[in-house]
Amino acid sequence: MFPMRRIPAHWLLLAPALLFVAAMALFPLAYSFVLSFREWKLARSVTPGDWVGFQNYWYLLTDDPDFLEAIQVTSVFVVSNVLATLLVALGAALLLNRAGRINTIARVLLILPFVMSPALVGISFRFFLNGEYGIVHHLIGLAFPSMVDTIWLADSTLAMVAVVAADVWHWAPYMTLVMLGGLASIPKETEEAARVDGASAWAVFRDVTLPQLLPVISIVLVLKTVFALKAFDIIYTLSNGGPGRSTQTLAYFVYETAFNYYDMGYAAAAAYILTAVLLVASGFYLRLVFKK
Amino acid sequence: MTAIAHPDATAGYQASAREQATHWVRQLVVIVLISAILLPIAWIFLTAFKTPRDVYSISSALWFTPTFENMQTVFRDPWNLGSKIVNSLAVAGGTVLLAMPMATMAAYAFSRFDFRFKQAIFLIVIASQFIPAAVVVLPYFLMFKEAGMLDTRTALVLVNLSIVLPYAVWMIKGFIDAVPMEIEESAMVDGAPRSRVIWEIVVPTALPGIITAAVFSFTLTWNEFLFALIIGKQHALTLPIGLIGFRTERGDLWELMAAGGVLITAPMFLISLLVQKQFVGSLTAGSVR
Repeated sequence: MFPMRRIPAHWLLLAPALLFVAAMALFPLAYSFVLSFREWKLARSVTPGDWVGFQNYWYLLTDDPDFLEAIQVTSVFVVSNVLATLLVALGAALLLNRAGRINTIARVLLILPFVMSPALVGISFRFFLNGEYGIVHHLIGLAFPSMVDTIWLADSTLAMVAVVAADVWHWAPYMTLVMLGGLASIPKETEEAARVDGASAWAVFRDVTLPQLLPVISIVLVLKTVFALKAFDIIYTLSNGGPGRSTQTLAYFVYETAFNYYDMGYAAAAAYILTAVLLVASGFYLRLVFKK
Repeated sequence: MTAIAHPDATAGYQASAREQATHWVRQLVVIVLISAILLPIAWIFLTAFKTPRDVYSISSALWFTPTFENMQTVFRDPWNLGSKIVNSLAVAGGTVLLAMPMATMAAYAFSRFDFRFKQAIFLIVIASQFIPAAVVVLPYFLMFKEAGMLDTRTALVLVNLSIVLPYAVWMIKGFIDAVPMEIEESAMVDGAPRSRVIWEIVVPTALPGIITAAVFSFTLTWNEFLFALIIGKQHALTLPIGLIGFRTERGDLWELMAAGGVLITAPMFLISLLVQKQFVGSLTAGSVR
């Protein structure tokens, strides 16, 4: 008799994936948590240092202006990013949700930005905005002569605009596809009935289309929030968190604390604050998705 | 006035001037949309075939003599994109080859069996995709340092596997759920063992889902940046890390960066257009169809 016979089949099937998730996701998560209560400057010692209790968290939240700025930057980045993506995706989906050759072409092209490397998107936008020969910089200078000499990435507000724009460019087309999927599942009859009854286009959208699209909109909203909170590649390659710390989000702050200053315990605590926020957002997402 | 039939109009219906105007405004906005997607991509592809002098001059933005010099330079020392392409292929290929069997088995178990804590375990697997890279990158770095695995492709495969598994399990489960149970049951009544049922009935019917999950996983791994940045030093550098190498003390070498950009992007464009329909549900895993 094989000893394997006694283990139910489903556990055998699940074992590789589950053991892997445990080793490569749950274990590191616990490791970081433990680390966040210790002091460990990797540059000085290769082994973790003293236990410091909540000291790392305490410093972060009360005594570190850079961290508080990172929270502020993250909020601005996430909110503007999510709203812009949502509006662009909804608008584009409503526009493309009808027959026509040009619409078909557009729908096929929507997948392209999403499969591009985010690092490349960031680098490309930095190239486009370059103050001497960037094409976007040049075109904006033609349209608004007062901005001819503006160096985009040297201005903290414009750098944020650039980072958000690059991320929206990367994500909005994909979210448009998701929205189009949602629109396709709305029965055409209800909209037509409203139109026959003489409702205006706006009224049809507000009272018939929008309510039925709401589940998809909320999924896009939460999913984009999660990915905006996690965003790193585009920020790293486009603005490097700068100028100063004006585009340094939490994810970037953690990276810098750990791999430029080698302050592992402190970075772990900052990462856990980010995780807490993400946990809430992910909870919302999973509830939306599994509501049925 | 001469009214042209609106494309959406039913037969015999004459579009009013106002409706025609809206139609053209819509078309115009769609063209703007297409340009917004295509122009940045086109600009990078053009730059890849320009000499540095043409890159720095707006007057030769569109009119220039194309050169293949950049495409050759990026494969030479010190850029060596060739070895980075090999690494990227090995890491992405290895990840997909390991992820698909693991994910298919797990997806089958979640789809076909009832067991204790099934919901909770499934949720934990799915939720692990939301763990921010920033929080696990430290332990990964320290773990691989301890194991002497920094700067290896194996480490990158392990890390990417943990990224793609939750997506793959979720996507493939959706497809297995849609396969009717009766075929499997009748095969099992005939005495076929479970392993044969999975291999000969479930895998072929869920193949479109497995292929979509494979393409999606390949794309994520191919483009993965943060872990590759921290784990790679010289031997295990991947293409996205190769791209940031073109930022040198002498300034940015845009034409080489663009050439590298074409190399990293073109294969993704090709495979994504092949599976573009199925791709849409990849992140939302069938909750939106």
